[in-house]
Amino acid sequence: MYLSILKKDLKRKKAMNIILLIFIILATMFVASGLNNVFTVINGTDYYLDKAEIGDFVVITMGDDSRGHADGILEKADCVKSHKIETCIFGSQNSVSRVDGSDVQTKNTALFQSMSDAKLKFFDIKNELVTNVNQGEVMIAGKFIENNNFEIGDSIRIKLGDVEMDLKIAGKVKDAFLGSDFMGNTRFLLNQADYDKFLADDMIKAHYQGEVAYIETDDVASTISAIADIPGIAFSGARSTLVMCYVMEMIVAFVVLVLSICLIIVSFVVLRFSIGFTIAEEYREIGVMKAIGIKNHKIRGLYIVKYLIMSVVGGIIGFFASIPFGNLLMASVTENMVLGNNAGVLINIISTIATIIIILLFAYGSTGKVKKLTPIDAIRSGQTGERFGKKSFLRIGRTKVRPSLYMAINDVLSAPKRFMTIIISFFLCTLFVLMLVNTVSTMKSPNLITTFGTKSDLYITDIDGAMELMNTSDKENLEIELKKLSDKISDADMPCDISVDIQYKYKVIVSEKEFAISCAQSINIPVDKYDYLEGTAPQNKKEIAVTPQVSELLNIKIGDTVTIDFVGEKIDCIVTAYFQTMNNLGELIRLHDDAPTDMSCVSAIRQYQVDFTDNPSDTEIENRKEKIKELLDIEEIMNATEYCVDCVSVVPTMDAVKLLLLIITIIVVILVTVLVERSFISDEKSQIALLKAIGFRNRTIINWNTLRFGIVALIAAILAAAASIPMTVLCITPIFGMMGATKIEFNIDPLQIFLIYPAIIFAVTIISAFLTSLYTRKIKSSDTASIE
Amino acid sequence: MNILEVKDLCKTYIVNKRQNNVLKNVNFSVAKGDMVTIMGPSGSGKSTLLYTVSGMDKATAGEVSFCGKDITKMNDKKLADVRLDEMGFIFQQMYMMKNMSILDNIILPACQSKKTNESRKAITERGLTLMRNLGIVDIADNDINEVSGGQLQRACICRSMINNPEIIFADEPTGALNRASSDEVMEELKKLNDNGTTILLVTHDVKVAAKCKRVLFIVDGNIKGEYNLDKGENISMRDKERAVNNWLMEMGW
Repeated sequence: MYLSILKKDLKRKKAMNIILLIFIILATMFVASGLNNVFTVINGTDYYLDKAEIGDFVVITMGDDSRGHADGILEKADCVKSHKIETCIFGSQNSVSRVDGSDVQTKNTALFQSMSDAKLKFFDIKNELVTNVNQGEVMIAGKFIENNNFEIGDSIRIKLGDVEMDLKIAGKVKDAFLGSDFMGNTRFLLNQADYDKFLADDMIKAHYQGEVAYIETDDVASTISAIADIPGIAFSGARSTLVMCYVMEMIVAFVVLVLSICLIIVSFVVLRFSIGFTIAEEYREIGVMKAIGIKNHKIRGLYIVKYLIMSVVGGIIGFFASIPFGNLLMASVTENMVLGNNAGVLINIISTIATIIIILLFAYGSTGKVKKLTPIDAIRSGQTGERFGKKSFLRIGRTKVRPSLYMAINDVLSAPKRFMTIIISFFLCTLFVLMLVNTVSTMKSPNLITTFGTKSDLYITDIDGAMELMNTSDKENLEIELKKLSDKISDADMPCDISVDIQYKYKVIVSEKEFAISCAQSINIPVDKYDYLEGTAPQNKKEIAVTPQVSELLNIKIGDTVTIDFVGEKIDCIVTAYFQTMNNLGELIRLHDDAPTDMSCVSAIRQYQVDFTDNPSDTEIENRKEKIKELLDIEEIMNATEYCVDCVSVVPTMDAVKLLLLIITIIVVILVTVLVERSFISDEKSQIALLKAIGFRNRTIINWNTLRFGIVALIAAILAAAASIPMTVLCITPIFGMMGATKIEFNIDPLQIFLIYPAIIFAVTIISAFLTSLYTRKIKSSDTASIE
Repeated sequence: MNILEVKDLCKTYIVNKRQNNVLKNVNFSVAKGDMVTIMGPSGSGKSTLLYTVSGMDKATAGEVSFCGKDITKMNDKKLADVRLDEMGFIFQQMYMMKNMSILDNIILPACQSKKTNESRKAITERGLTLMRNLGIVDIADNDINEVSGGQLQRACICRSMINNPEIIFADEPTGALNRASSDEVMEELKKLNDNGTTILLVTHDVKVAAKCKRVLFIVDGNIKGEYNLDKGENISMRDKERAVNNWLMEMGW
């Protein structure tokens, strides 16, 4: 009998068993690949940074007076175990073009350096160490090659100062320091001879050279103090900061992990349903087995054997599928990183075994129903009534809906537990999609603008211009340049003010400890125009605002005093407010407008901000954007939304992940619908035959089956849409917090959250349910004679 | 006037590539208001004949004229409409929709039918009247698992009557019932017939057959004989049963 039940089950429920097997495969595949990816990324970032020999602290210096100082200062610092310094030339988008002179995109400042002088280890796409670049060739890091549709072997033109050179792209390299999505700088590695030709240009040599120092230390805090004396620091960051730069890559991995957890839950819920359903259907066989004295545990063992076979087969297939699938998911991450895979397969194996064990434990738990079935169930063919569900409170006589809709609603109300499987599965999948939709729409909205600066009509991110401003000798000249720029735009019938937020690197002294911290001050944007989390905006040059990250780093809070060395003038500043920013991963001090800053200490100028004074409409702002592009002959002019997207450089990646998630969700929805509906049809065969016998058309029966899935999908979609907003705030805020923004106003697009995405899930459910319900056409009215 | 005329009806099943001729040129007719029972040994084709003449199963050949319309030529949609509006069905297993009350099960076909434009309230009233007539009105709001087999079968009779059908097809309506319940159910069917409803039923039970007006005896897919009980109005039921029994013995039962 054991074998006959097993055979019967496999034969009669072929479709259900296949779908269940697919679920086990998917669950194993996702658990194995998801855990592997998270393990790889979390540990892999350190692995990569170690392999690239990046050290524990990195400093970039730029500007006229910055060269040659770092080496001496680091040499003397006790906390520095060792250091390596490489020189480079800073360029911009205009420094690189196609050989026909047409523009290319380079994000942020570009770095040019000699391969032979490089102190960081670079790797090619096969993760092989790159040590040499031939003369006339260039190796490029970052996403420059893909973003500009170049092929290996194509040539680019590099123009630094008056020196122009066409170089062949020899390959792509992975740059552990600048290659992350968050840093996003493009590094061009040249042959020493070619590099020297650029350095021969006096202007380049004088103004555009810089240094990158990689420092080995066990004492980061002391190192921050030690480097405070290095002039012209454009960037300084500890290894932890660099690890954080890979946060976006980690987000992708976490998305995969959470998705895996969702799928595990869905798989288990479906598994429990399927096992429970199988057993309920086998009441006769179970009753007979009990009647002839077979013990409960042996009967349970029968079902366990089935699930053991299925979970082992599914687990093995899932394990093998998890390797390419994991690589596929990690493709976007490994483009930029060298990830260690030493433990990779082991994690997959452990995950697979764990999944199989969990499925079996779950199956054993679910077979508890066997205890409840008695020999009477077999004798009475389940007609005793105990197996029937209770009717709902809904009465067809008191409604006006069609019988098909009534039966659908009545089914859901009569056996809500039965439909809970679908509601939970669809709710989880839809919720996760909606949370990601909210995240992406926030990233694509101007809501984040206050974490990058103030809201303006337009942002000009012309790096060349910024570089020129940085080399302006004093602030008066800078203000003159800004005035010229605003006059030029205003003269073209676009009256405006131009402002700029400038970052300086200053030595900050707290309790006799010195730190080199980025300090921001704006020209033409009063300090009180910025948003503050707590406290009041600085009122004079002796007041500052700090981010929570700086507060933690310096161990200071509102009301505390720090000393800032403004090169020659040390001022004791009181902390009056906290603010948030995603610039510098949140490590920033905001100075009052009167603070005695000096252009020689500028570390970064990110954008000019254009505020039109005649309150133009959004459409007019867009028109003016195009006009200014023509007027100034620059492309990098953006509105607030575009600027946010540009700053949060992972929007395309997140969009791709969102699409991937939606596809996976659709697959899950289809599988759950097909599996559960087939189970229902199998269970309700006699009722369907009866309805046909008494004159119900196929269409009515198909509608009934389809509508009940539509109802539960609708419930799940409504619940998911309602839960998506608080869940997004709860789960996604900490991720933005890692980047420096602890208080985010999420952009909720009601059309997407309450209509488009729920409608997609709903439509997929309806279509799947409809197609599955076509199976009911095979049940004939005359089957009433043959159904048990 | 014949409500049902069956001419040269054949039904063949192909099982494991083997042809199985279940019905072989069956001919018979049922007059309006008649109460006909089909009897025969197991596997003789009784149920198949019932399902084929009621349009639940497709005939392989032949003609089934119901109210002057050949139902073998109808498509599935039309057949479903005919079954819904003009036929009633009672089965041995008392199939009901599991999650609905007894009353809802009874009025479900009327709610689906477009025969009349009755309101749901009127349909409900009619359902309750039928239940009252069959003595089960007190179980109207019960779950189907809360009533006895006899009550459930009477509910099935109510359901079969809800759309005022021209004919009721009953496949062993008392097969799953004890003697007392069986008698109750047959009494109800008899009353329906007395009120003008045509009934064609299949049974193994001589007692049930004795309550009908005609008995058709089917063997190996052919109607071998017909026994008319209509003439003996004053004959006791016991004698009718004996007469049917004797006739069946003659036919080789």
